[in-house]
Amino acid sequence: MSSTTLRNWLPATVILMIGAVLPWLLQGNFQLRIAMLTWVFAIFGMGFNLLYGIAGQLSLGQQAFFAIGAYTFALLQIHFALSLPLALLGGIVVCAVVGLVIGLPVLRLRTHYLAMATLMFAMIVHDVALRWTDFTGGTSGLRVPPPSLFGARLERIDLYYLVFGLAAAAYCLQIFIKSTHLGRALEAVKTDETAASSVGIDVTRYKVSIFVVAAMFAAVAGIAYALVSRGVDPSYSGIGMVVNLLTLSVVGGLGSRIGPFIGAAIVIIAPQILAGLQEYQTLIYGVGLLVFMIFLPRGIGGSIERSAEGSFDDPKGEKSARRISRAETP
Amino acid sequence: MQTFGILILSGLTNGSVYALVGLSLAMTYGASRVINFAQGEFVMLGALSTVLFVTTFSLPMVVGIPMVLIVCATVGFLVERLAYRPLVRRGSQPLTIMIGTLACASIMTGTALLIWGPNQLFVPNAFSLEGVTIAGITSTPQQLAIIATFAFLMALIWFMLYRTTFGLTIRAVGIDPAVATLMGIRAETIIAFSFVFSAIVGGLTGGLVGPLLGGHVSMGIMLTIKGFMAVILGGMGSPFAAAAGGIAIGLLEATVAFYGNSFYAEPIIFGLILMMLIIRPTGLLGEWEANRK
Repeated sequence: MSSTTLRNWLPATVILMIGAVLPWLLQGNFQLRIAMLTWVFAIFGMGFNLLYGIAGQLSLGQQAFFAIGAYTFALLQIHFALSLPLALLGGIVVCAVVGLVIGLPVLRLRTHYLAMATLMFAMIVHDVALRWTDFTGGTSGLRVPPPSLFGARLERIDLYYLVFGLAAAAYCLQIFIKSTHLGRALEAVKTDETAASSVGIDVTRYKVSIFVVAAMFAAVAGIAYALVSRGVDPSYSGIGMVVNLLTLSVVGGLGSRIGPFIGAAIVIIAPQILAGLQEYQTLIYGVGLLVFMIFLPRGIGGSIERSAEGSFDDPKGEKSARRISRAETP
Repeated sequence: MQTFGILILSGLTNGSVYALVGLSLAMTYGASRVINFAQGEFVMLGALSTVLFVTTFSLPMVVGIPMVLIVCATVGFLVERLAYRPLVRRGSQPLTIMIGTLACASIMTGTALLIWGPNQLFVPNAFSLEGVTIAGITSTPQQLAIIATFAFLMALIWFMLYRTTFGLTIRAVGIDPAVATLMGIRAETIIAFSFVFSAIVGGLTGGLVGPLLGGHVSMGIMLTIKGFMAVILGGMGSPFAAAAGGIAIGLLEATVAFYGNSFYAEPIIFGLILMMLIIRPTGLLGEWEANRK
């Protein structure tokens, strides 16, 4: 087995095993809910990771797609009585279209400008969610009908496997994108747009494609979040959501494959363990974000992968050879 | 004619606030090439610490406002020393540093939430809120003070940047910190100054606009975004272009709010900015600035 394959699929196997047995280890609906939220935010983080970690395009407006996906999902079920898979598909398609329409003009911008423009877009979505009361239910939001699949009501445990399945699918898609031409082109775009276009990479097309893909990841995460919370409200598109996303991405590790999972687990579980911490949440996320950026810029996932890479990337034992030769020469 | 005057006046008031935020964003950006996401939080801090000093400690305004400015300057200094500088020293990308300032914004909001709680607070006014009618247009001294402060700060910054040696060093650091350092300029000190100066401008803005907007812990991020809209419209190249953008946004908002619904103002401005970006992809300021990292 080649080192790349091993590096991609070893974490996948571990995550798959953890995910599959987790419901037996957890007690009660509350712990199950926490587990589901971890998968939800891992999906959200993977989308962001593709966009910023791989392609270097910083969007601070991913929470808009998170909310649009969730609202579309709820509205399609409420007004058109669509089934769960169709509503899920509807939410993803709507987000992809919005991502395309917003992405085409916005991705002409770079760096700070892109970040701010996407944040502006999210603020407008947030405003609409808050104030268009007839359509979005205002502050109280919308209720999502009890989930059912092919006529059968989904129990909590079924819902868990649905959300986990979505996360596993998202991971595979992430690995797939990274290994294709698209992924390599995006890494080139991240390093140097001018150089990338000089070797025939259509920079705009690739940037828009990955923006749409990230919007779809956010949509899936939003929909899963709505399913778990049994409703959707304007906080989905709030500024708190993007702080969560940034914290989990930085703590987990930008550009790392397993980063989003580790980051999501920490961001979701940490406030639960330290009881009565809700008041301090904004403060602690901020401090955590800053401390990680300064002292562990690769994040936990990135650091693990880096230390593991020694054993993957060193088929000829060059590193150990070097170490030996250094030990021999006085 | 009279409605027109009122529109202009209210547009100018809000526009001055956006312009002040935009201007301080451009000041920090000019020296450090980083968007300071915590800029709007300084306005929040200014408004809420006015509440602390003037209402809670019942200090007179003349003592309270300098205290507010000292608090903001200290926090501005801390943001530079604890977030910006360590990140730059370890060679982080500008975008990473920007996320670092967003973390600072989050820390400031979180701390303010612990001190002042989640409710909107009444911010004491330095100037009278009673209506004054000049040439058929009613205004308040507080409103006029905001516009006057904005005009004064613009003049001050212009003088500082373009008529003093110190201003020249600020601009030099903005163009290339490494070369500026070779010329004997202490680039890190200049950048620290730009952070502290912007924080003071933010605090002053907060103290002045607080009575009109009401003090709230989450008011900062919206102002940062408005300031940045100003910067995109006008141009990041100079603080004055950013200020012009702020005034334009204020006037546009007032007009849309008057003839339609204030709800549509933001989407319309956003649409305008998007349209502008399609026509001029690098923004009104031209290629040079937007392509810089």
